[in-house]
Amino acid sequence: MRSLFLRFFVAFWLIIGIIIGAAATGGFWYAEQVREAIEDFDVSESLLAANAALQSGGRQRLTKWLREFPATRGITLYIIDEQGNDLLDRTISKGVARAFRRHRDALRARDPGRVDPHVVRRPRQLPHIVAANGDIYTFFVSTSRIPEAIWGATDVRLLLFIFALLVSGIVSYALATAIARPVRKLRDATVALADGNLQSRVADSIGKRRDEFGLLAHDFDTMAAKLQRAAEQQLELSRNISHELRSPLARMRVAVELARTKAGELPEFQRLDVEAERLDALIGQILSYTKLDSDPNRGPAIVDLADVVSEVAENVNFECKADGANGVTVVAELVSGIRINGYHEVLRSAVENIARNAVRHSPPDSAVRITLARINAGASIEVTDDGPGVSPDDLPRLFDPFFRTQRSAEADSNGGTGLGLAIARRAVELHNGQIVARNRESGGLSILITLPGRKDSAAT
Amino acid sequence: MNPATSSANILLIDDDRELGKMLSDFLGADRLNITVRNTGESGLEEFSSRKFDLLILDIMLPGMSGLDVLKKIRQTSSVPVIMLTARGDDIDRIIGLEFGADDYLPKPFNPRELQARIKAILRRSQPSRNGSQILSLGNITLDTRTHRATVNESDLQLTGTEFELLKCLLETPGEVVNKEHLSERALGRRLLPYDRSVDTHISNLRGKLERAGNKDETIQNQRGVGYLLIPGR
Repeated sequence: MRSLFLRFFVAFWLIIGIIIGAAATGGFWYAEQVREAIEDFDVSESLLAANAALQSGGRQRLTKWLREFPATRGITLYIIDEQGNDLLDRTISKGVARAFRRHRDALRARDPGRVDPHVVRRPRQLPHIVAANGDIYTFFVSTSRIPEAIWGATDVRLLLFIFALLVSGIVSYALATAIARPVRKLRDATVALADGNLQSRVADSIGKRRDEFGLLAHDFDTMAAKLQRAAEQQLELSRNISHELRSPLARMRVAVELARTKAGELPEFQRLDVEAERLDALIGQILSYTKLDSDPNRGPAIVDLADVVSEVAENVNFECKADGANGVTVVAELVSGIRINGYHEVLRSAVENIARNAVRHSPPDSAVRITLARINAGASIEVTDDGPGVSPDDLPRLFDPFFRTQRSAEADSNGGTGLGLAIARRAVELHNGQIVARNRESGGLSILITLPGRKDSAAT
Repeated sequence: MNPATSSANILLIDDDRELGKMLSDFLGADRLNITVRNTGESGLEEFSSRKFDLLILDIMLPGMSGLDVLKKIRQTSSVPVIMLTARGDDIDRIIGLEFGADDYLPKPFNPRELQARIKAILRRSQPSRNGSQILSLGNITLDTRTHRATVNESDLQLTGTEFELLKCLLETPGEVVNKEHLSERALGRRLLPYDRSVDTHISNLRGKLERAGNKDETIQNQRGVGYLLIPGR
């Protein structure tokens, strides 16, 4: 079907049309039955029989005759005396009573002494018989009881009801499915898109529809493609910036080396090497800060936090040894089996930046501890050092990009870029977690990351 | 000067002309013969025109990328390749190794580091001087003199690094060889932090062995330690 509008329109039209049509057909059929029943009923024959009964046995005989009158085809015969009572004492409907009164008045009006000049229209004569004593008995052939008979006999009412339920049910179900199914698929795709899967598309599942949902699906795909392209462009831009900034740096380093071979080793050359390395590290950090949440190729996956922490401990320990960083060691305290939904690399860079920061501010031969623990459905990762800590005023701003505390200024020669903790905060926020810094009572700084558990594991 | 590194021919493919010139000055002082090409296409052309001992390939090239050049070259040659990558793009680095590069160096690098790696790889790719030695296990056979590897008598195309790794593992089958040792033997350098080179080379080697029909011997990872070759039953 071409459009949703048409689908709605036709569906409602169909429901209403079928039900009205069925009801009307049933009504006509019923009316026809009634008409036929009445036409088939031969009043004159019963009048003759009734009259015979009345003349031979009076009112009593007439009553007996009426009681034994066969109920053919749902016809009910009333015989009403002059007081307006049915011979069998059945209740008489208002319509019958009114017709009877009019008829009685008309009969009396025939009496010349009781002419009512205002009565111009003469009502139709109803069949009646007159007893020997002059009592008039009026006949009524009632159809008011026929419906019940017919209904009762054929269950038409129930059938019609079931029919209406069935038809409207089928059409409504088809309509509801037609709407709910694509909406669900669109929703799934939207959730996937929001979760970072920029390749999420719906054209394959609902794009072939030629209604508004099909159009919406195409619009959705266009939007998703644009988002993906934007994310890819940003990544591409970051790479180009990286390339453009690093090319002069690479030339500079070769130039320094060439100068060294010509002029011999000078302390200034070492300085140039250190600064070039620092600039390079800074470029790397800025890039990872900007592209932290823009990797279009990968959605979140299940991350084993013990893997992340042990990897960081191993790597930072390796760095400590390689740099000869005065005997600082990294100790990991792990709990296995904590898994969350997230990005392994991003979490690793968060913990790593915090751990490196801690190592930089640690006194010689001390230990940096990374403690992984389970909190409800989620997890906490705490990194502690035995360094000088941070002034309480500076604690809230510790995670701002390029924020410098007294302690970081002192440790600057160790190669801090001012972005490590900012990267950590963005990484943690990307995982809907929290990051808090505090001074430990025993001295040193503690940085605590708390991460929420997996959504699906919380649900089950 | 080490005779092994004398007058080695090196092809550098990098679009940064000035860097190429300075590098050839710097490395040329060490009797390394550097030819510089600035695009992938001209580099490939130069590579096919004569014999080179080593290729240094920038991953970011205009037009044909460094990876494409690497793939092309690996179809015909197992010449040692050092990739120059952008620091921080972990994926590019690993992909370089997966497509058969021997080592990589993130830009901007310390030129002395590049020099050291070139020498390490050149030294390694010299034929062994201890005469012919045949190492074999199950249906795998290595000839260390001719640098020829076979599985079930048929040739196995390995890069120099993969050959060295397999050799290390074959020397002590069933024993764990640690990653530091593997890095020093096969890459000629120390293992670095975040260094996945050995792991990537091993995984390439594993794939090649399996595709060559070797089902019995398996290379296993001992987490945090190293690798071992398990003999088949």
